[in-house]
Amino acid sequence: MQFLPSPAALAALVKIALLVGGLMTAAAYLVLLERWIAAWVQDRRGPNRVGIPLTKIRLFGLGQPLADGLKIILKEDFTPGHVDRVLYNAAPLVILAASLAIFAAIPFGSVLPPLGIAGLPDPVPFLVAPGLDVGVLWVFALSSIAVYGVLLGGWASNNKYGFLGGLRSSAQLVAYEIPLGLGLLGVVLAAGSLKLDAIITAQAKTGVWYALAQPLGFIVFLVASFAEAARLPFDLPEAEQELVGGYHTEYSGIKLLLFLVAEFLHMVTAAFLIVILFLGGWHLWGVTGASDDIGWVQALLRFAILSAKILAVIVFFMLVRWSWPRFRFDQLMSLAWKVMLPLGLVNLVTVAAVEEYRPALEAALGPGTARAVAVALPWAACLVGWIVAGVFTPSGTDNTPILARDPLDVERGIAAGELPLAETAGSR
Amino acid sequence: MDPATVPAPSGLLLAASVAMLAAALWLLLPKSSDTLASRRLGILLGALALVGFAATGRSLGSVGENGVFLTVSAVALVSGLATVVTRSPVYAAIWFAMALAGVAGVLLTLGAQFLGVATIVVYAGAILVMFLFVLMLAQPSGMAPYDRVTNEPMLAASAGAVLLGLLSMSIGRLSAIEPPACCRMPSRADAIASGSAAPVSPEAGDEVARLGAELFGRHLFSVEVAGILLLVALVGAIAVVSRGEAAAESGREAA
Repeated sequence: MQFLPSPAALAALVKIALLVGGLMTAAAYLVLLERWIAAWVQDRRGPNRVGIPLTKIRLFGLGQPLADGLKIILKEDFTPGHVDRVLYNAAPLVILAASLAIFAAIPFGSVLPPLGIAGLPDPVPFLVAPGLDVGVLWVFALSSIAVYGVLLGGWASNNKYGFLGGLRSSAQLVAYEIPLGLGLLGVVLAAGSLKLDAIITAQAKTGVWYALAQPLGFIVFLVASFAEAARLPFDLPEAEQELVGGYHTEYSGIKLLLFLVAEFLHMVTAAFLIVILFLGGWHLWGVTGASDDIGWVQALLRFAILSAKILAVIVFFMLVRWSWPRFRFDQLMSLAWKVMLPLGLVNLVTVAAVEEYRPALEAALGPGTARAVAVALPWAACLVGWIVAGVFTPSGTDNTPILARDPLDVERGIAAGELPLAETAGSR
Repeated sequence: MDPATVPAPSGLLLAASVAMLAAALWLLLPKSSDTLASRRLGILLGALALVGFAATGRSLGSVGENGVFLTVSAVALVSGLATVVTRSPVYAAIWFAMALAGVAGVLLTLGAQFLGVATIVVYAGAILVMFLFVLMLAQPSGMAPYDRVTNEPMLAASAGAVLLGLLSMSIGRLSAIEPPACCRMPSRADAIASGSAAPVSPEAGDEVARLGAELFGRHLFSVEVAGILLLVALVGAIAVVSRGEAAAESGREAA
């Protein structure tokens, strides 16, 4: 009879504890960072009062997350009478569980040097589930499960604003999964693996990050992951000014906290994916090598580089939030289907062609020139795609309601608004 | 195994389980004449039938070894039953999602990672979200009474139960035949059970690559046909939408 779990299981538990603890703390402090950045952008001071409790020490407001957390946990957890109780309670749990389980397949560092413990694989990877071959798909699967939390939360609230938020969210997430997947496919094609750690290693070996090798894919993936994380300018599911908070309008107390933490985790996941897939993961030129045979200094250095990159991407997310106004829903959809989808396809075809003819190029031109061509071609595709998208996408949108417009007038070339509304309506 | 050599108790147990399952389903399916007592009886009979089915299984192994498998398959079965007997369309969709999660769990424990995760991505992630979208827009409380009850509950219940019985009989026979050594799948579950969570063998990491080579090698034609089918559906959807617009326009012209 075996009472103790195996070393591999223990190692997995330790990693889970580190990851969940780290992510939860990070989410709390990222809220503080977000408030600081908001204050900086808006030229005010932001939270700077709360320091060590019961003392006068302020510590630049570093105690704020603790105070925020305590406040929201101790608030009344009010359940309105008109909700569907089961789904109302399940929705925050579903979204948080799915957002956390995503990290089972996401590496949060490189590898530890061999520890020499029997039963543990050496070197120890910074990854909870190292045996999972389909890491990228796992991330996709669980982020699509997280949609249920939003959708059910909105529906179970039995509130029109919540419901609209849930509907918007599901439509937006389903639409943007396609450009997201297309951006991803280029990377998977070039790296030849669905494992996220293998994708980092592939970039470290060549030294060419996929953001440099596939600029168009990077742009498509970046925009789509903003939309998947429902961050401004894509935060239509919870647009405060339109929907009073959207799908979590009816939530309060700890359940609201779960929703908000899950939302932050979505952003953190998006940052992880952007860094791992396109920005080289733990690789930095001249600092880290590509091999798994490393010492403690190198292992910690790689962890620090990955974390710094992720933090930089998160700060970028937060700056974008205060830099762009929110899209309207039809603009959001036409961006996904008419701009991002074709650009993603162009990227995929370019990458496939480059990967197919890379051996022939290397044989004909030599490795150095071949690599330059393999990088130059996607950049040319990116430039052409960008120009074509810019020329053929209307820069302004017609804001008159569709009902007030007569399709015959559109055909005759009469612009909307030239005819008085009553006349247009009367002709129908 | 010859049909004659099937031990009689197992056959009887299977028949009893099928009968109980049919009765349970009939009691539980949405009908106009439902009482709380009949639903409770249905739940009891259904639980008994599940226990009966489990008992007819040839070998379930110890719970400690197969605990994960037993849990996820129980989730899949119970959610599948709940999908058909629940009254609210939204809840039916949620139960269906749970059933899919259970099936994906079964596939994962069997080492079919790609299939397991793809099930969640495709069905739970895309198709069911669309279902939910439509169901939520369709206002379930406003449906007519004849849409809220099952058509032919008796036939549906018996057909489902008999099908399950036949399938479990034939699968029981199949699993009684030991596969030859060449054709056994290398199972990751075995490796995890034996204590090493690392990939079983060097080539085990190439599962996805092997699946891809198989799909785009031997089954290329099927993949292409499926792709064309999807394309036709896409074009059809666009055609329907644009014809609707054209009809509206010509209607306006006539007016």
